[in-house]
Amino acid sequence: MTPALSVRNATKIFGAQVALDDVSIEVQPGEVRALVGQNGCGKSTLIKILAGFHAPEPGTAAAVGGTELSFEDPVASEVAGLRFVHQDLGLVGNLDAVDNMALGQGYITNPAKTIKWRKERAHAREALAALGYDINVKIPVAGLQMSERTAVAIARAMSDRGSPVRMLILDEPTANLPNAEAQRLYQLVRRVADTGVAVLFVSHHFDEVFEMADSVTVLRDGKHIVTRPVEGLSEEELIELVVGRKLEVHDRMNADEREHDQEVLTVSAVAGGSVSDLGLTLHRGEVVGVAGITGSGREAVASLVFGGMERSGEITVGGKTLPPNRPDVSIERGIALVPAERHANASLLEQTLRENITLVDPGRHMTLGILRRRPERADVRIWLDKLSVKPAGQTEYTMTQLSGGNQQKVIVARWLRQEPDVLILDEPTQGVDVGAKADIHRLIDEAAAQGTGVLVCSTDHEELVRVCDRVVIMRRGRVAEILRGGQISADSITAATIGRDSDESAA
Amino acid sequence: MTDLQTAPEAVKPRRRINFGFDKYSGLYVWAALILVFALWIPDLFLQVSTFKQVLTFQAIAAIVALGLIIPVAAGAFDLTVAGTLTVSVCWTAWALINHHGVVVAAGGALLLGILVGLLNALVVVKLKVDSFIGTLGMSSILIAVAYMITNSSQIVLSTEGYAPFFEFAREEIFGLPRSVYYAAAIAVFFWWILEYTPGGRYLYAVGGNPVASRLAGVRVGRIVMLSFVASGLTSAFAGIVYLSTIGTATPDSGSGYLLPAFSAVFLGATQIRPGRVNVLGTLVAIFLLATGVTGLQLAGAPSYVTELFNGAALIIAVALAARTARRRG
Repeated sequence: MTPALSVRNATKIFGAQVALDDVSIEVQPGEVRALVGQNGCGKSTLIKILAGFHAPEPGTAAAVGGTELSFEDPVASEVAGLRFVHQDLGLVGNLDAVDNMALGQGYITNPAKTIKWRKERAHAREALAALGYDINVKIPVAGLQMSERTAVAIARAMSDRGSPVRMLILDEPTANLPNAEAQRLYQLVRRVADTGVAVLFVSHHFDEVFEMADSVTVLRDGKHIVTRPVEGLSEEELIELVVGRKLEVHDRMNADEREHDQEVLTVSAVAGGSVSDLGLTLHRGEVVGVAGITGSGREAVASLVFGGMERSGEITVGGKTLPPNRPDVSIERGIALVPAERHANASLLEQTLRENITLVDPGRHMTLGILRRRPERADVRIWLDKLSVKPAGQTEYTMTQLSGGNQQKVIVARWLRQEPDVLILDEPTQGVDVGAKADIHRLIDEAAAQGTGVLVCSTDHEELVRVCDRVVIMRRGRVAEILRGGQISADSITAATIGRDSDESAA
Repeated sequence: MTDLQTAPEAVKPRRRINFGFDKYSGLYVWAALILVFALWIPDLFLQVSTFKQVLTFQAIAAIVALGLIIPVAAGAFDLTVAGTLTVSVCWTAWALINHHGVVVAAGGALLLGILVGLLNALVVVKLKVDSFIGTLGMSSILIAVAYMITNSSQIVLSTEGYAPFFEFAREEIFGLPRSVYYAAAIAVFFWWILEYTPGGRYLYAVGGNPVASRLAGVRVGRIVMLSFVASGLTSAFAGIVYLSTIGTATPDSGSGYLLPAFSAVFLGATQIRPGRVNVLGTLVAIFLLATGVTGLQLAGAPSYVTELFNGAALIIAVALAARTARRRG
């Protein structure tokens, strides 16, 4: 059988750094292949070479369905039958599914160049139905569920553009999806593969790998480590392959061993955003998790408690009341927020790591009316080392020069440097590789050990199990349940988040 | 212009050895321009008076551009800089010929500058109008105000009657008029603010990502407001210097300053600290453009060469900077 994609000896060098080192892979038609590795392992580079975005080093060759791919021509990969869906999906939120699908391929028009709307809509519905989705194609896609939006993007990618589709390439397809929606997407991908199209997806989520993929390719430091069937592979083995070493098993301190005498954060009757009534307390050195499906209020908890949005109700940190909507006052009173979606909410992408870390109090190293760069750099370097940000000690790198995991560490460093009484983290390991994830979890442990109260809002239930003493379950804008100690497991959290309403009275 | 085009070619991204062509290309081009004109028209160009003329003519434009850097650093356009200058010129002239004294005239002009800044902030921060649109509207209103003040005509200050006022910008110290020193002082002040104070960090942070800045405790609205006040006050000061230099106020006194100020700021953002607007880059841009234009004019080029040269230089410089940025990324 001719492989859908074969890549031979792919090499790419950026400056002095070998991003991709002689990687060869083959994917058969109808096969679902996961491409995994830590950030900076070369998987994005590989995808970008296939997409015609980076020119590879000479000696690199690739064939799609037996036809050699030219790296000279940026549209060659599309003509050859490769289709890409990026993590951000590339949809225009205020346009409907029909318009979005027409964006890449043009509209169906009559000879007078008037758009045949009826035919366009029917076409869009058909394409979505083929993927198992029945979606209102006339409402702006921003109003659709995440998995539906993904379906629109995939339908667009899959639609015929004068060449047969041989391979669909997805970037972290279920990264931001709640479990139930992720399940729908697994089915969708299966349907695509059943039509004989190969699927290659980049992933940090091992659920995704085990649920969706037939086989997995692991890259590390730009090198091909292994390609093997998913069957018979355990999660521990996969992590080891990705990281290249055994990860130490972190034994979470038993909740009872910690002293939780002193309340450091109290939240009562808080409402705002999708939250209608939130009450919780956090003690010194305690790590409390917040779980819930999208729309349950979980997504607003971090910002509400931090004081980033309008709200009612009362919040105190160390006995001092926090006003709503005044992040500056909140920070001064000892609370810190590592927000979700670091690019939009936390990063100064074009600025240096130094400026990113000292953003909260740039005046710390000011003498005689002048900011002193040297002590500032030294200060920042200490934090970069403490969080093992790579490449090490580069205070003058811009954020864009770092991988996602390292960017997240920089944001965490910004707040740990403030030594807050309460640290809130919202989706702290979103789009972060396994190694950085373990590091961030370790930092959470350390912060708690030093007496900081930590609130972790996350859709990654394994993460909550790993770091939390208690997990608050949000349903319908309220705290529905609180899981403690031995009750905390990924399954119990999942079950509680989708729990039925009748449970609420009991909670 | 060949130097501009070859400059990035000299960058060797692999070994990261270069002669600062990415950051300092403007200085190289400037030096090249001086060399070209020095060889081409030595007896016209290589005169002390030429350099003095370039510095003097650019002092007002430089002050306006320096003020503009501040809101642009914070991510806000301020299209009122020229309108504020005009109103300041007209108000000062009106107050002087009506014998209100220099203090009322100049003080009033500066207060007007602050007021314009506050109104811009009201429109942009509180009413949440996009800064480009909001300040475009405000600048139209300012032109109307200038017409009201001058009664739609021009006010000429006689050289004899207002000698002390003219001294303010024209008096020469070490052979250069005071206006040049004002521009230099303002440049040093804003350079210090932007590079060496928390305020500068906040401005660039807000310009880079206002959402992230807010969540890091930066008072975004206040920073934007202060940036508009800074540019308003600076433009108003430029107006006083203008009147003291030129001696005539008309409702379109400032019309020639808007585009050069924006050109200088954006061209300056490709220099010294590529990717962000900055004081030194802006100064390099202003004097590079002025040198080129002056040289061409001395060589006999028609007067429209100014606009032609400014526009072409801006587009070429920013396009080249975008290309180098892509290579680096």
